[in-house]
Amino acid sequence: MSINMVKVGVVSCSGEDCLGGTISRLATRKMLDEIRPDTTVTICLPLFLAGGVEERGFAEKFPTISVDGCSKACAKRATEKYSGKVSAAIDVSDFIGKEVAEAEALSIRNLTDEHSAMVEKVVSEITVKFDEVLRAAQRDLVAKGLAMVGSGPSGGCGCGCGTK
Amino acid sequence: MSKSFAVLPCNGLDKAAGCIAREIALNILENSESEMICPVLYRIADARYTKIAQEKPLLVIDGCQTRCASKLASEKGLKVNIKLMVNEEAKNRGIELGDSLRLREKELKLAQDLVTELLKVKETEKVSESEIVYPETHDYEVYQKDKFIFRVPKEGFLFNENDSWVYISGNKARIGVTDYVQQSLSDIMFFTPPVVGSEVEQFGELGTVESGKAVFEVVSPVSGKIIAVNEELSAAPELINSNPYEKGWIAEVELSDLESDRELLLDFTGYFTILKRKVDEFHV
Repeated sequence: MSINMVKVGVVSCSGEDCLGGTISRLATRKMLDEIRPDTTVTICLPLFLAGGVEERGFAEKFPTISVDGCSKACAKRATEKYSGKVSAAIDVSDFIGKEVAEAEALSIRNLTDEHSAMVEKVVSEITVKFDEVLRAAQRDLVAKGLAMVGSGPSGGCGCGCGTK
Repeated sequence: MSKSFAVLPCNGLDKAAGCIAREIALNILENSESEMICPVLYRIADARYTKIAQEKPLLVIDGCQTRCASKLASEKGLKVNIKLMVNEEAKNRGIELGDSLRLREKELKLAQDLVTELLKVKETEKVSESEIVYPETHDYEVYQKDKFIFRVPKEGFLFNENDSWVYISGNKARIGVTDYVQQSLSDIMFFTPPVVGSEVEQFGELGTVESGKAVFEVVSPVSGKIIAVNEELSAAPELINSNPYEKGWIAEVELSDLESDRELLLDFTGYFTILKRKVDEFHV
């Protein structure tokens, strides 16, 4: 895969502290699994914070979108602290409400249709931002004469195991 | 007494093991009075989570060998009471974790089984303290090569060829690794203990120790039920480097078949001969 292939990193809050985190996590996974599988790279935030070289390196070189569960904005703050400014930032509580977002985190065993609807709502917003960021990045590379349209595998794991 | 942990999961997003770690953490919260430590927010809200970690026994759940949660606990100087590694638990149970991040029935069952065991461990926590009367120091024979010193206790110990020792006291025994292991690994950074209450076969795995060089599986010299682990090693695995026969011991077991196990063990003379050969031939 060429380094010039345009990919966008989605950095999700890992969400153990609130429902908003659960929703952000599920929405990010949906981007990777279903919505934009060829151009999404997820970044494991705990590994990123623990000093994961590949995770941080990717976030420095490629555009990123942070998806936070609440206004604490752990994902955005961490990305900007260690790798540079995010291209777009999403706060799940803006879409599902502050009170709901700050409710307890949820196991996937207990997901209801209501929760699924919240995930869809956030996915829609991420997709809009994602496509804007991707287009901008592609335009930028075209302007530099470097762009390639990529369809290689995405996902992201910094530990070298090859798992998405 | 209500069961409760401070639960610190790795919470990884990119692998099934990380998702299972999260599922285990949430399941424990549902079934006990435990409290969660978010590995991401903990780096920001230090005081809040440090208080929880000090008030309750700390359970650290890592998904994979990257051990993000263990590293975080180490960075924060927390005393870890129980460590769990999802990848290893899956391997021990013959479960192959797929690439999918969506947890299927077998992954959810693995999580549930581990939660059940963890809460059971909590119930039997009192037996995890040492019950063996054990000498604090020993008389050693030393073999030296270059700057490296290899000690072997002269009396009271039996060994296997995998460089583990056992010290027997009645129907119980203490187990550890020899100087050959700690010298070969160099600075030991992590210790993954076996699960208290579980059974181990002779030559079965009794936890792991890890340095920057390698991960070493402790090979049990005897069979039996694990009744205690050296809790100090979670916070200070370097005790194994200091002296693996004394403060760096690994675990204690209730013996199940010592007479049979003895047939495959070495006394001081037998092991010292093997150690010298290993050092001369392999040790760098």
